[in-house]
Amino acid sequence: MPWSSRNAPSQSAEAQARDRDWEAALQQGRLPDPVLERLADARAGRTPWVATMTPAELLTIRSHGCRPIATVAGTCWYNFGWSWTEGHAEGWAYALDRIRQEAYAAGANAVVDVQMRTIRHQIGSSMDFTLLGTAIRVEALPPSTDPVIATVPALEFVQLLEMGIVPTGIAVGARYEWLGGYGNNWGNNWAGQTTQWQTGVFAGNQPLTELGTFWESIRRDAHADLRRHAATMGNGVLAHTHFGQIIKRERDKQPPAYLGRHIVIGTVVDTPFGADVPHGIEPVIDMRDDATLSAARGHRHNVYSGELGEGEGAI
Amino acid sequence: MAEQHIPQHALERLKGLRSQGHPGGIFTSDFSVNEFLLVRKAGFEPIGLCVGSCIYHLGFQFAGWGSNVELEQLSLAMYEARALAMERMRLEAQNMGADGIVGVRLTVKRLEWDSKVLEFVAIGTGITHAKGHQGFKGPNGQPFTSALSGQDFWTLLSAGYRPLEMVMGSCVYHVARRGPFATLGSVGQNVELSNFSLALYEAREIAMERMQVEASKAGAEGVVGADLHEGSHNWSSHVIEFFAIGTAVLPIEGHEADDIPDPKLVLSVNS
Repeated sequence: MPWSSRNAPSQSAEAQARDRDWEAALQQGRLPDPVLERLADARAGRTPWVATMTPAELLTIRSHGCRPIATVAGTCWYNFGWSWTEGHAEGWAYALDRIRQEAYAAGANAVVDVQMRTIRHQIGSSMDFTLLGTAIRVEALPPSTDPVIATVPALEFVQLLEMGIVPTGIAVGARYEWLGGYGNNWGNNWAGQTTQWQTGVFAGNQPLTELGTFWESIRRDAHADLRRHAATMGNGVLAHTHFGQIIKRERDKQPPAYLGRHIVIGTVVDTPFGADVPHGIEPVIDMRDDATLSAARGHRHNVYSGELGEGEGAI
Repeated sequence: MAEQHIPQHALERLKGLRSQGHPGGIFTSDFSVNEFLLVRKAGFEPIGLCVGSCIYHLGFQFAGWGSNVELEQLSLAMYEARALAMERMRLEAQNMGADGIVGVRLTVKRLEWDSKVLEFVAIGTGITHAKGHQGFKGPNGQPFTSALSGQDFWTLLSAGYRPLEMVMGSCVYHVARRGPFATLGSVGQNVELSNFSLALYEAREIAMERMQVEASKAGAEGVVGADLHEGSHNWSSHVIEFFAIGTAVLPIEGHEADDIPDPKLVLSVNS
């Protein structure tokens, strides 16, 4: 043993066995035995349940015939090889599949309060995709063969169910494309030339037609991806967020190339068209200071922030 | 006992059964849960996210060193780019058969690689009346556009108004630099720099007036949620843009002010 590693912690035989178990499970797309055991114990109530809920949330789900079972997770650390953009869709899809497997093993009908997480450690060109949530049982129903994955907290989950809306999962759409070079739909080496002219020193006011159409087509494809993915889980996507970027790359003796990438992520819901909203809505005025309109719009009357008011000698 | 709150199809889905086929296909929206519920409560259904974008190259315009003057070319450019983005968004809405678009956010983004290129994006959710009511369309039977959130949309309808069109006005203005004598003359004095005041007045008035003209063209009674933004999109220090934006509205026929319930005063104790 080299001197440098003499004092380094070494893995116990037990831990090594666990590692091998995980390795095999990940490769076969199943859960390792220790995890299955833990979830089976939680399912049967042999171990205490663990939930991310607040007491208020616990109260609401109890009053609607649900109970928490266990905290479940799905993680995938993914290396971006040929595409950073589409790697995101893949990474989340793996994580989603794994958390669903855990929920199924726990005998759940749903996972609520599912959070998308990542620890931003730069290890090469890779990133972890993690989903974490609380598996719950609807007591009057048999365990689900296909538990729903709800990104909303328990309180909103119950509220949505009453309104005939079931949050069922997370959908991802991701696309990238090069304008100019690098062979693709937007293809030949000289694509991008129009954009070069349109942004030249003497160019006047004008919309960049080529770049604009290119960018629009990426976005449309990403959204089509999102809808396709969502269609496997439900019929609508809510609360969706997006990330888009156009990067310019200068090239020798050729017009510059442009890389466009677009990622959209949203919560999938399943709901009939025009479902009734049974609760009445009453206009109220909250008398708390932090709930007033002026508070919501920021400090509208405070022009003396920053350098204006704080400088020495201002009177 | 308690589960009877939950509709049958939701229970089916929780058992793992998939509902078979939704005739409407997939809708996408950036609505929050509460926005979605309120839009539904107002009698509408989201049908799809509508996006329009315009990547725009701004030309150069020269203004005299000491002149208070509108840079009309830039005003026009800033307006045209936004209008193009909005128009493309509206076209998407029309193609999906929407009655209107709510929650429109209009943003301007600078691209890292060229300071003269701006990306204008308009994003909102296309909605349609659940029972096919046709009375909510905007001017010329086109989808209406509105910057109002789902919550504000419900509230506006309850107030007896419907949104017609987002209206805007832009004015890019060059504020005159002061000559050396003028600067010297005001040293050590508390005095109004009246040509600066004038420039702000002028630019603001122009932007607001353009917005108002748009509203009257749309046949509106008024404009809600009007806001005035001052921005300088990486221009030289004496160039500013005043941008006015709001949602033009029209009263709903047959809706009386007496129909509106008095809001209740409450004090929430849970936050």
